[in-house]
Amino acid sequence: MDLANLKSLLLNGRPEFWPQLTALTGQARDFEELFLLSSWRKKAEARKLSPPVPPGPPLKLAILGGYSLYPLHELVEHLCAMQGTPVEVWLGDYDNYVAEIMDEGGGLYAFGPQVVLLLPAESRCKYSGRLADPRAVQQAEAAQTAAAVQELARTVNARTGAEILLTNFRLPARHDLGAYRARTLGADGTFRQWVNLEMGLNAPACVRICDVAFLAGRIGGLHAADPRGWFETKQPGSPALLFELAREVAHLIAGLKRAPKKVLVLDLDNTLWGGVVADDGLEGIELGDTSPRGEAFKAFQKYIASLKQRGVLLAVCSKNDHVTAVEPFEKHPEMVLRLSDIVSFKANWEPKSENLRRMAAELNLGLDSFVFVDDNPAEIEIVRQFAPEVTTILLGPDPAEYVGQLQDCRLFEPGNITAEDAERTDQYRAEAGRKALETTVTDMGAYLESLAMEGTFSEFTAVDAPRLSQLINKSNQFNLTTRRRSEAEVLAVMNDPSFIGYSMRLKDRFGDHGLIAIVIGEKAGDTLKIDTWLMSCRVLKRQVEEAVLGELARLARGRCCQRLEGVYLPTAKNEMVRDFYGRMGFALTAETETRREYELKLAAFQPVPTQIKITRHAYEPS
Amino acid sequence: MNQAEVIAQLQTIFDGVFLEPVVLTPAISAQDVPEWDSLTHISLMVAVEKAFGVRFRVGEVENTKNVGEFAELILKRKQEP
Repeated sequence: MDLANLKSLLLNGRPEFWPQLTALTGQARDFEELFLLSSWRKKAEARKLSPPVPPGPPLKLAILGGYSLYPLHELVEHLCAMQGTPVEVWLGDYDNYVAEIMDEGGGLYAFGPQVVLLLPAESRCKYSGRLADPRAVQQAEAAQTAAAVQELARTVNARTGAEILLTNFRLPARHDLGAYRARTLGADGTFRQWVNLEMGLNAPACVRICDVAFLAGRIGGLHAADPRGWFETKQPGSPALLFELAREVAHLIAGLKRAPKKVLVLDLDNTLWGGVVADDGLEGIELGDTSPRGEAFKAFQKYIASLKQRGVLLAVCSKNDHVTAVEPFEKHPEMVLRLSDIVSFKANWEPKSENLRRMAAELNLGLDSFVFVDDNPAEIEIVRQFAPEVTTILLGPDPAEYVGQLQDCRLFEPGNITAEDAERTDQYRAEAGRKALETTVTDMGAYLESLAMEGTFSEFTAVDAPRLSQLINKSNQFNLTTRRRSEAEVLAVMNDPSFIGYSMRLKDRFGDHGLIAIVIGEKAGDTLKIDTWLMSCRVLKRQVEEAVLGELARLARGRCCQRLEGVYLPTAKNEMVRDFYGRMGFALTAETETRREYELKLAAFQPVPTQIKITRHAYEPS
Repeated sequence: MNQAEVIAQLQTIFDGVFLEPVVLTPAISAQDVPEWDSLTHISLMVAVEKAFGVRFRVGEVENTKNVGEFAELILKRKQEP
């Protein structure tokens, strides 16, 4: 279907015109196309080619502001009609919005709007003083500018009960002022940013911010600006910006009536990890920091976990044997999502549409609150056909784009704030106060305690082998011996009973650092020789060294060793650990140009207590 | 490109936008075509700039009195480097 066919349907007065118009509107990617479709819709109505009966009376939408609102309103009206929330529009005059809102006997109030789209004039969002004025003065004027706009919104709302969609201010995209721009609130860019923040953060509950600054940034500031359009017909921006703005307004209007989705149902293979777990095995799937692809899948999982934190329920629907499908959730060290995150786990060979129906019944939720994500077009098609209430997302070919794809689907956006939210905000504020106190404590012990660190030790495992080998081969600075090992050699260490090999993972309240330390030791009589000790520099000064040594002493004692033997082999890059063993309480026993040898007698060794809570030890059942 | 060729290309653009066929001549103007309202005008201008790869300067289009003058403006802007 293309525009020419649509035109002939229109000329021949065919009712198929309407579904085709809806489809093409959904696909329209620029102003030109959308605008043409909008004008044809009007012509079809004028020709009495009756549209399908709308679900209810149109919503009364007033559009007012410091711009010519034509043709923006045409696009808004068209998109709303096509998405099933038709609007009846009342248009304010160019830059007459203050008077229109003040005049209680005027046309705006006679119209009785249910929704008001207010676009305050950019020309009134400008600092009146000089760039070098005191910041407090500039800040006060920005707050005052935002408050004046909010006051208008409050007034309309008080007089009509309408929801207010309020646009904020586009930022300039020209190189005015250069580096100085960032040093003053008096510049157009910084002043508008401050006003935008004030407007959003202090918005009354009846206001939804229509984030023009964001939309313009998304398409590019230069691309969003259109001085010619301003001088000729007082347009708020370029046709490209009008297109984005109209879509945002239509989206916000739809959101007034539609609840956000509640359940996110995920496929597994090539969705949460790369590869097929049934074919490639637990060790073979791509997930985690060993490969760029693995990192991308892990990032996708992290984003999904953040949705869960926002209150979205997570479910799994996969064509797999149940045992195979749950294994990564239980055993793969790089999985972000765990079984406890999943409210319903369906891994079987039934059609996915059936599984989704069962889930909906179990969770007692409507299928229309479900979103289903899969990389396989055939599965998406089955769900579209047999469970059409479910919203489907077909993932693109590149896992690097998965997060962006989910972020742009706009299905999980929180609604407006509620009284409960406001209360929670107060609680958080108190909490933030406590945290701020903690972080101002200059005492290192208190700081470490506030990090709430949690560490786990693990003996070498086949699943970890790629990550172990990668870290062994790339660590240069905090690396005592710089001995490199391939994946096969790591596995050999793992399988040789005279060796011990373990790694440490660390997380804290800011996130998961992943695998950050590796130690390999070889038992020779009553001595444990430290073959390898390396750490990621990201976690220095966090007592990780002490925790790793504590674990090493524990393992050595368990193998009836009396002493640890360490060696430092200098390289061009590992100067930072030259005195490491000395600092850790080892005694220097021999020193040459090319090596320093140390020993630690275990009988006298007391592990240093740390602020890291160890939740698992190596070579012990987890 | 001459004026006649520009008008011929304009004809195909107008055919895409207008429902009722309009035969373009140098003398015709928006007043002569009921369908050529301000809404259609916006569609036409966006399509013309794209098709000819030109960008009109502020106020220029408003100053053209008919299709002939509009075609001359397109030619003038096309001849710019």
